[in-house]
Amino acid sequence: MVFSSLLFLFLYLPLVLGIYYVTPLRWRNAFLLVVNLIFYGWGEPTYILLMIFTIVLDYFAGALVGRWKDQGRDGWARWTVAVSLGLNLAILFFFKYWDLIAGTLRGLGLDLLPSLGLSLPIGISFYTFQTMTYPVDVYRRDAQVQRSLVNFGTFVTLFPQLIAGPILKYKELADQVDARSYSVEQFANGVHIFVIGLGKKVLLANNIGMLWDAYQAMPVEELTVLGAWLGVLAFSLQLYFDFSGYSDMAVGLGRMLGFEFLKNFDYPYISRSVTEFWRRWHISLGSWFREYVYIPMGGNRVSRGRLCFNLLVVWGLTGLWHGASWNFLLWGLYFGLLLIVEKLWLGRLLEGWPALLRHGYTLFLVLVSWAIFALEDFGQMGAYLAAMFGRAGGGLWDPAFGYYLRSYLGVLVIGCVTATPLCAGLWPRIPKRGQAVILPALVVAGLFLSTAYLVDATYNPFLYFRF
Amino acid sequence: MSKKYAVFLSALFCAYLGGFLLLNLVTPDREFSPLENRYLAQRPELDAQDFRLAWPVRESGDFFNGTFMSDFETYLTDQFAGRDLWIAAKALSERALGKGENNGVYLCKEDTLIARFDRPDPDRVADNLDYVNNLVENVEIPVTFSLIPGKVSVWADRLPEGAPNASEEDILAQAQASTAARWAGLDAILRAHAGEEIYYRLDHHWTSLGAYYGYAALMETMGLEPVPLEAYTKTTVSENFNGTTFSTSGVRWMPPDHIDIYVPEEGITVTAWNGTQSQPGALYDWSRLEEKDQYSFFLGGNKPLAVVEPPHTDAPKLLVIRDSYADSLTPFLTANFSEIHLFDPRYNKTSVAQYVRDNDIDQVLVLYSVANFVSDSNLFVLAR
Repeated sequence: MVFSSLLFLFLYLPLVLGIYYVTPLRWRNAFLLVVNLIFYGWGEPTYILLMIFTIVLDYFAGALVGRWKDQGRDGWARWTVAVSLGLNLAILFFFKYWDLIAGTLRGLGLDLLPSLGLSLPIGISFYTFQTMTYPVDVYRRDAQVQRSLVNFGTFVTLFPQLIAGPILKYKELADQVDARSYSVEQFANGVHIFVIGLGKKVLLANNIGMLWDAYQAMPVEELTVLGAWLGVLAFSLQLYFDFSGYSDMAVGLGRMLGFEFLKNFDYPYISRSVTEFWRRWHISLGSWFREYVYIPMGGNRVSRGRLCFNLLVVWGLTGLWHGASWNFLLWGLYFGLLLIVEKLWLGRLLEGWPALLRHGYTLFLVLVSWAIFALEDFGQMGAYLAAMFGRAGGGLWDPAFGYYLRSYLGVLVIGCVTATPLCAGLWPRIPKRGQAVILPALVVAGLFLSTAYLVDATYNPFLYFRF
Repeated sequence: MSKKYAVFLSALFCAYLGGFLLLNLVTPDREFSPLENRYLAQRPELDAQDFRLAWPVRESGDFFNGTFMSDFETYLTDQFAGRDLWIAAKALSERALGKGENNGVYLCKEDTLIARFDRPDPDRVADNLDYVNNLVENVEIPVTFSLIPGKVSVWADRLPEGAPNASEEDILAQAQASTAARWAGLDAILRAHAGEEIYYRLDHHWTSLGAYYGYAALMETMGLEPVPLEAYTKTTVSENFNGTTFSTSGVRWMPPDHIDIYVPEEGITVTAWNGTQSQPGALYDWSRLEEKDQYSFFLGGNKPLAVVEPPHTDAPKLLVIRDSYADSLTPFLTANFSEIHLFDPRYNKTSVAQYVRDNDIDQVLVLYSVANFVSDSNLFVLAR
């Protein structure tokens, strides 16, 4: 199930909220677990078994790690963590990367593995990363062993962030799973953030996404320089509003249910370096890789050569996490290289540049990265990049570019403005009385327009089906 | 945030979601949407078969392979309370944002809606052109071939500036160059009359006037004398026609079209055939003017086969392999032919060559709109 659907908004969510709040506190996690599984299994119910297997596996792994630790058998505990990580990664690999490896081998003339054509269980990359933190956190004594299977299952499957993040670490959520407080202020705040997220996804991302789709489908020989840039700008806004909209909806829903999640996006497009961009974009993924891969590999406290190697490994993996296709690896390595360059040399130089130049530098490199990210076919990617740099012979612009620019100017301007903290900065300057009128009006308008766009939805993609 | 305010905002949100949940429960499901001109999805049912498990999972029953869930979501969307209003609201919002299109339909000047013409599949176009050539080989009588350009090219000046469309002109040129049949070009005459109401503004078809110009050009190619337009009196039969482009666009603020006819129906008999079953038809089906899809007024809508017989019997017999554009053309053809056989390959898969022999046909006309011709997957019938 996805948030941006009539089914979720007008059937699932009101029923879940209604029943949740009449359920006695001690049964609320059990109720959540049941509805989480319905949310997860909607559309592919057989994968509920896979989910239950994952829950049970990590529940017992965590319990064993805790026991070995208590008994001072560190080696045994370490092995249990390793086995649990191995099994989780094996499941992820099997469902997500098997066909990529099989297809690539076949392309090399090695017909060793059959393609399976399995559909990717929704959110598997998000929740696998999430459950894997549990035995590790227990091993590191960052978290207590979870005694209740129901509570642990609720953590793994928590529907607000199950399918598109943020990726929560067990230690961040452990206390809230066991006991959380409820207040109407928190609920109202959740409503506010949820509606902003819904609007970002349904009104901005879907709308701007149609512009990218038009350019993506265009035969490469018709691409013009400005057209190609407009297309990739559209994709960058679509992905940002889609992804951060999902994260906002997750945070909002979490608050409605009494949970507090960390924010996942912090206006990434105002960054003044690529390093800063990655501190603001998909924060929970970056922090996961830092804590569970980069630092265990030695982090910064290693030789220069080893540092470059570590960064490339982490960013190669980050790239591949986004989808089972080699362009994602290339995309990750592209950022790995940029981060190495900034870390070793350019970062200090950038400090002296004027702000405008730094913004331009960052946006340019990020926009180029989205072309690599969005186009899986290397031939098309090459041709698209060539068009962006005037090497495709399509000219500077054409009438279609003028049409698309005029037609999408309204949403593009709204998108560019709301991708900065400008509105959030102006908000406190509005007098309190004005806020009290504007806020509910905006909530109603957001709900109303989102409903209209969902009822007449010709274009409502779920972008993370590959993640 | 004060507590009172928090309660208010929370209640507002819950009332909105819960309110529509209840509203959807109490409003009855509709079978058909007249405004959208299509049947709406109905609530999917589950039976024991749907819970069958199989490997691979996609071969399981509807519950386990997810079909039930996606059907259910379609049902929910189609039957959402106030659906027509939501669609209109979205179209208005798109216009307010300055969008040049909605749901693949361009919002054009002079209250006109024009569906986007996407690049056709070149293999399909080549195949369909080959099927027409096969027909020319299979029959011994003259075959005339013509494609009707749509308003997307003839009325291109009404489109938003620079609106991207594939080229219909390229398709016409390709068809003319590669066909073994006698080619009848309609492009020039329609363009010459582009300032007149030759297409419906809110429907994809040509009007009776547009069909008349098509008729005149076709008769010239076939070596027959067209009846001059002045010989007819125009009668307006409807002033509230909202056509197919209206339906898909969501645009509800443009005035409806009117439908005119020129040829009186007296003395013309129509027989509609479905396999070996025949039933009387009519050149004009007046009951259809009460329905949403008023274009089916002409000949009563799509049929596998219809035979139109004017009173005079000395003229040749014509077979038209056609789409729905021929429905409004047929009244004019009655002046020059003694029998007009309208053959629609979408619903009729019998051998065309055999049909020509069995019915003593004198001439064949293959007539399609460009948009239908490049996408139709039934033209293989012509090669039979």
